Amino acid sequence: MTKRTRSASAASQTIAETEQTGGSGETTSPLAPDSTSVGSGDQEASATPVAFSTVDTFAAEAPFAERSSENPDRMPLSGIRVIDVGNFLAGPYAASILGEFGAEVLKVEHPIGGDPMRRFGTPTTRHDATLAWLSEARNRKSVTIDLRQREGVELFLKLVAKSDVLIENFRPGTMEEWGLGWDVLREANPSLVMLRVSGYGQTGPYRRRSGFAHIAHAFGGLSYLSGFPGETPVLPGTAPLGDYIASLFGAIGILLALRHREKTGRGQMIDVGIYEAVFRLLDEIAPAYGLFGKIREREGAGSFIAVPHGHFRTKDDKWVAIACTTDKMFERLAEAMERPELASPELYGDQRKRLAARDTVNQITIEWVGSLTRDEVMRRCLEKEVPVGPLNSIADIFEDEHFRARGNLVCVEAEGVGEVVVPNVVPTLSETPGRITNLGPPLGNATYEVLRELLNISADEIKRLRSRKII
Amino acid sequence: MDGHESNLPLAGIRVIDAATVIAAPFCATLLGEFGADVLKVEHPLGGDALRRFGTPTFRDGDTLTWLSEARNKRSVTLNLQHPDGARIFKELIAKTDVLCENFRPGTLEKWGLGWDVLSQINPRLIMLRVTGYGQTGPYKDRPGFARIAHAVGGISYLAGMPKGTPVTPGSTTLADYMTGLYGCIGVLIALHYREKTGRGQYIDAALYESVFRCSDELVPAYGMYKKVRERHGPHHNDFACPHGHFQTKDGKWVAISCATDKLFARLAKAMGRPELASSSIYGDQKVRLQHANDVNEIVRDWCSSLTRAEVLERCYATATPAAPLNDIADIFGDRQFHARRNLVAIDVDNTGETIIVPNIVPKLSETPGRIKSLGPRLGEHTEEVLKDLLGMSDAEISELRARRVI
Repeated sequence: MTKRTRSASAASQTIAETEQTGGSGETTSPLAPDSTSVGSGDQEASATPVAFSTVDTFAAEAPFAERSSENPDRMPLSGIRVIDVGNFLAGPYAASILGEFGAEVLKVEHPIGGDPMRRFGTPTTRHDATLAWLSEARNRKSVTIDLRQREGVELFLKLVAKSDVLIENFRPGTMEEWGLGWDVLREANPSLVMLRVSGYGQTGPYRRRSGFAHIAHAFGGLSYLSGFPGETPVLPGTAPLGDYIASLFGAIGILLALRHREKTGRGQMIDVGIYEAVFRLLDEIAPAYGLFGKIREREGAGSFIAVPHGHFRTKDDKWVAIACTTDKMFERLAEAMERPELASPELYGDQRKRLAARDTVNQITIEWVGSLTRDEVMRRCLEKEVPVGPLNSIADIFEDEHFRARGNLVCVEAEGVGEVVVPNVVPTLSETPGRITNLGPPLGNATYEVLRELLNISADEIKRLRSRKII
Repeated sequence: MDGHESNLPLAGIRVIDAATVIAAPFCATLLGEFGADVLKVEHPLGGDALRRFGTPTFRDGDTLTWLSEARNKRSVTLNLQHPDGARIFKELIAKTDVLCENFRPGTLEKWGLGWDVLSQINPRLIMLRVTGYGQTGPYKDRPGFARIAHAVGGISYLAGMPKGTPVTPGSTTLADYMTGLYGCIGVLIALHYREKTGRGQYIDAALYESVFRCSDELVPAYGMYKKVRERHGPHHNDFACPHGHFQTKDGKWVAISCATDKLFARLAKAMGRPELASSSIYGDQKVRLQHANDVNEIVRDWCSSLTRAEVLERCYATATPAAPLNDIADIFGDRQFHARRNLVAIDVDNTGETIIVPNIVPKLSETPGRIKSLGPRLGEHTEEVLKDLLGMSDAEISELRARRVI
């Protein structure tokens, strides 16, 4: 089985293998409603004790297997060149997504040290790469250019002229200081699409303030809501959440702008403040304050909308989430508890009655869940179709058969480090699934290639630029 | 106005949103903001459950969430479980570019409206399918909501005080919105591919995957070093210190984050204690991380000696990354939100009332999106759509209505 082989240079070979597989007519219909994934948990388990699918198996065993040989390059964004000159994640993650679906991504970095994300998080055996860098700088080539030097700026403009998309996240005004404002860039390339991500956006009184996700969560109203009522607000799960969310909005902006460019030939600029990306996701919080003066407070593990709707500790000291958003679901929970009378109209059958007796209903749930192991609670709830889920730690996730079957964890070879498990591509497309060609590149690994081949700069000149630390 | 409309990037794209609540519908909302014609296909009795999610209003009891998030959509009632409803749906699909749905896997198939049928009717169709666990895998049939997805995807485990009860990661609908964003990216990529090849496809999005994907190094750190990340409470001091929430004298909260030594030096200056950033004390991130409790204590003491306004004023004066933990009242009073027009007041049709909703994100310079209308009344556009798109007569429409097909 060639598709089981882990190849050292995963990506390009993977694609080749995929096509071969397609040629042999080995297809799985994505149509049958009850067709389970080809890479189902059982198969994985019997094939290998390792819990993850490899890049190879993801590409070859994805449930969407209808492949054609008439169109060898099936990547929807092939032919699109993206320059990512940002640092860390807010914005650069948009480049990662574009790269996963076929765009060529050039990471333009400072010649000394490069993107600070190379030093952020857990170190590896490679001095220029933490684990966060390896995972999130996937599918890139690294090109070093010093934008603080005039010659660096000229070089950068030449690169911009040959690119489709530029992504940056410097503090507003920084690129302008370097002579790389939108007006200049647009002159160099009128069809350029530029994504600018910053803490507060390109306009407004706070635009020059430095902003990270942590700051944006607070400013955008998310942090205020995390934690128990009246107690210390906690981090909303993960530190860089806002960076990812801003990037998702940014990617949408880029794809919209590319579409507009197809029709008109004209590029444009997309301006995302991390705080506003976070704020946009807060359902009715704005209209409810606007209309009724309602200020939402921290809700701990619960929700103002429904009861029981929260996190409950099991006998074996683990946690489950239970979400009974409707009366029907509470009825099922009462059945799972073997106390169907709880769902009677006289007791707690009605959501309004449950909300009024919130503490009592929660207490009943706490006691029931606390009397059983997590596996037991899960089994009984699932049997009655109660919405339930374990609060998975990362260790739980690595053991989980569904993550495995969906290929959510993928093992990719990183130059100089070995195999690294990273989260796979989201979302999953049936005809043109994304792929990971490589993990975070060594600093400057494509500088020569890009300058020589794309910009047609002579080898001597490249040498000179290097000696002067411009690249 | 018309010139502006046809200039929007998705002008001419028709979307059917046959989904419910937030996740898949939010994708349609985004597409609608940038020019797509979005038909909200709803069950004739009660319609989308989002109409009852949250705080009810004076307009037929439709909630605020509905009015805000069903913006720009036209409501068409259609009972897909009725054979005639399914037939009309197929006729609509023939004239549609994008379908958003979030039924449990197998439901559309049961009604004879699976991907095989729909893609045969319209080979250019792009279909976004959102479920809790995705269309494949052993859990695909389990009921899934955002809260469950937060738990399964690993983010709830990380929210809360160390060893304490895990809390909601800020908002109970986070995974819904994030999946809408991922779904929208999938749809736009598929549209791009369709331009080149003429072929549609479907996108298989799972709520839990959206939050799981945004987990920085959680996965590789466990894969390589078996490191299990635990809840951090208000301070995340694995990589940076200080990086957390601090209470001020007036009982409010600020976020402060010093990801680098340079930023800590600015904070030390703001605190009037520049010596703290010397190399012999806490100038080095590694030293600060080793003594995170002591460093947090110093910052906590300083913050609690001043009002929130004073802390922020001093932090901003030295360009220290800091911000208030805004509640929604703070946000309504904030000049950055106003300058960026993040809040926008829109009239609720024919009621004389206005509600304030979050404005469009992201901001595009040439083709900014627009909000034409708030969430429609149930079935408000059934007649016009059936007439304009399918050429139905008044008689046919009243007959369908009598039989509760629409």
